[in-house]
Amino acid sequence: MPFSDVEATRQTLEAAGYACSPEIATVVFLAAVAGKPVLVEGPAGVGKTELAKAVARGLGRELIRLQCYEGLDETKALYEWEYAKQLLYTQIAREKISDAVSGAASLGEAMERIAAEEDAFFSERFLLARPLLKAIRSPAPVVLLIDEVDKSDPEFEAFLLEVLSDFQVTIPELGTRKALHVPFVVLTSNNYRDMSDALKRRCLHLYIDYPDAETERGIVCRRIPGLSRRLAEQLVAAMGRIRALDLKKTPSISETLDWAQALLSLQVDSLSREVVLSTLNVICKYRQDAQRVRQEVERVVKFP
Amino acid sequence: MDVMIHRFAAAARAAGLRIATSEVLDALALLPRVDILDEAQFAALLRANFAKSRLERARFEHLYHLFFHELREDLHASSAPVAPHVEDFRRELISLEPPSEALSAIADFLAADPAAYLELLNSLQSEGRGAAGGPRGAGANLGGLVRRLPVLRALQRAREALDGFLAANRSRIHWETRRDLERHLAGRLETARRLLAGEDPLRRLTPTPLPAVTETYGELGRTPFANLSPGERVRLREAMAQLVRRLRDQTGLRTKARSRGLPDLKRTLRGAVRTQGIPLELRFRRRPPRKGRIVVLCDVSGSVWSTARFMLVMLYALQDCFDRVRSFVFVDAPHEVTRHFDDHEADRALTEVLHDPAVPYGAPTDYGRTLRLFRHRHLDTVTKKTTVIVIGDGRSNYGNPEEAILGEIRDRARRLIWLNPEPEAFWNSGDSEMRSYAVLCNEVRVCQNLNQLADIVRNLVL
Ligand SMILES: Nc1ncnc2c1ncn2[C@@H]1O[C@H](COP(=O)(O)OP(=O)(O)OP(=O)(O)O)[C@@H](O)[C@H]1O
Ligand SMILES: [Mg+2]
Repeated sequence: MPFSDVEATRQTLEAAGYACSPEIATVVFLAAVAGKPVLVEGPAGVGKTELAKAVARGLGRELIRLQCYEGLDETKALYEWEYAKQLLYTQIAREKISDAVSGAASLGEAMERIAAEEDAFFSERFLLARPLLKAIRSPAPVVLLIDEVDKSDPEFEAFLLEVLSDFQVTIPELGTRKALHVPFVVLTSNNYRDMSDALKRRCLHLYIDYPDAETERGIVCRRIPGLSRRLAEQLVAAMGRIRALDLKKTPSISETLDWAQALLSLQVDSLSREVVLSTLNVICKYRQDAQRVRQEVERVVKFP
Repeated sequence: MDVMIHRFAAAARAAGLRIATSEVLDALALLPRVDILDEAQFAALLRANFAKSRLERARFEHLYHLFFHELREDLHASSAPVAPHVEDFRRELISLEPPSEALSAIADFLAADPAAYLELLNSLQSEGRGAAGGPRGAGANLGGLVRRLPVLRALQRAREALDGFLAANRSRIHWETRRDLERHLAGRLETARRLLAGEDPLRRLTPTPLPAVTETYGELGRTPFANLSPGERVRLREAMAQLVRRLRDQTGLRTKARSRGLPDLKRTLRGAVRTQGIPLELRFRRRPPRKGRIVVLCDVSGSVWSTARFMLVMLYALQDCFDRVRSFVFVDAPHEVTRHFDDHEADRALTEVLHDPAVPYGAPTDYGRTLRLFRHRHLDTVTKKTTVIVIGDGRSNYGNPEEAILGEIRDRARRLIWLNPEPEAFWNSGDSEMRSYAVLCNEVRVCQNLNQLADIVRNLVL
């Protein structure tokens, strides 16, 4: 049992550098208890991927990551035979092969003899393990991150469902491999498309939203230690107002961190109108967004 | 506690959340692992097991509040003396003559078991579905108020019965308890009324955020399609043709590069194993996957048509980027127009669509009936590979919006995108049902000018 209770889970994650709400701690704890995957949804940059990393750090486990995209298939996710390597070995071992077949009465017999050696060609040596197989074969428990699963195709989702339900795979040439330890699985989604009901049923669901000011300040102070408390407070308050502006790309925690870093290197001690205007490109990726913030800048930097 | 969770699950199902039995069992199994006196933990446990998408979450939040806060005051010690009288009153209500389904649902609701009442409300929303395919059934499109009337009347009866009950028990129940009982039950009746009137956040969910667009076409790109002058229309066509060329180039270039060059090393080697490692046959990468299927549903009432037509032109000009494009227009029923576009170039096809006698251009727009009939006749066009695009303002002349059917379509589709030619500020005014529809879509966008249209098409194709 990796965690003893919700509070211990929260402390572990915090110690691993992840600012953690009671809700996040509860779901992570329950997933560990039940051996179920967590399906994490939420806007870009709120720390979905980071959560999996923090769990791995906190538990001292290896993190195995499978990045999903359109067209991802089993050979990229599970395993693949290394044809080039097999070929190379065949070439080098050509003499041995002719030894094996020398004296064969017929072509058929030669084939039989080669077939008897087939195991040599389809052995672990030539197997290229991709993330899912790596997670299943690992002798120590791991954290498996299946990132942006909403980008994968429905066929792949069905395949994933199979793997996630019994954590075993069958490789025709080698037999069935079953996981020694059920990995702690985190799936993340940006809600590009809905996942199937079957997959959702298999998982615990966690929605991570933009953090509240208090939490975000905690993250900033931890990540950018040199920043003064006052500036961190202003920064986070300003960010909250900018997020309310309905931009094309709402800035996320990553942008807050970049911004904090920029302010630190500019050595400013307070967030003024001028400072915001000169660092806008750090928070806004689009020109219109920057324009919008410029219009509202008075409101953004109005601190008590 | 287990009983309460079963009841909560029943109520949540009645209100339209899909909760599998296994999910209830999972939640129960995990219950001993959380501290149920810590509400953050308790709520997180239920949420993680019962609300499995962003859409369901908002609904879950509301139900949770209703069930564990509004309907659970009786858990507090202060209201203990009231409890037996609530039960008495419940019995009295269900024995009232003439009996009614609504009344007994209300009786249960007052006794903190809301499943039947929520189910009743849910069925009101989707009433008229039975008439799908048939002629417009009475009741299918009556205003919401008419459908709610019997329940409203039952609430009225319950209120009168409560007054009667209190008066009849004046000597039997202590006046303080009577006062608490009155307050308690009147509060619940008010909650029930609010749910019925739809004033509750049960339906008022936050709509999908709408990203703004890239400004590519300056003034021309900003002008709403409906306001273009004839000269601007010509320039619009040119700009669209150019965009189509550019997009085709971008997608086409990739295709060509692959079918011409780029051998697939792995497949070549795999083949070579069979020929003593000599790569006799070069294998090439397969054609890149196309972008799936498209089903477009266009409202062809006046204001929407100016947007819908340009979207159709673009989609068909880019037709070979997709596996298949099927198009439907509707006023009060879906009507497939794919063949016009298959047989002719876009302009001619549009003219034919506009003169198609099968489309009742004069009829009032009816989204609910369109959705019902679409489900009945064309649902098989939608699979997990299909992107469904609805182009419409969501103005349905106060008919039943049938948003549940839209949800069903989304569940079958890969993605559901709604394009609305009206600016967002108008969405929830008058007879617009956009609020109900928006929350069900994977993406909602304003589409009234070239900038917006170009942005949308680019996202679809690239
Ligand atoms: N709760 C948190 N505690 C500490 N750091 C955090 C937290 N949340 C986010 N961060 C930081 O914010 C940045 C963005 O997080 P991350 O990459 O995990 O976001 P994401 O949700 O996976 O985004 P995307 O949807 O774009 O993949 C990272 O640098 C991460 O370290
Ligand atoms: Mg991520």
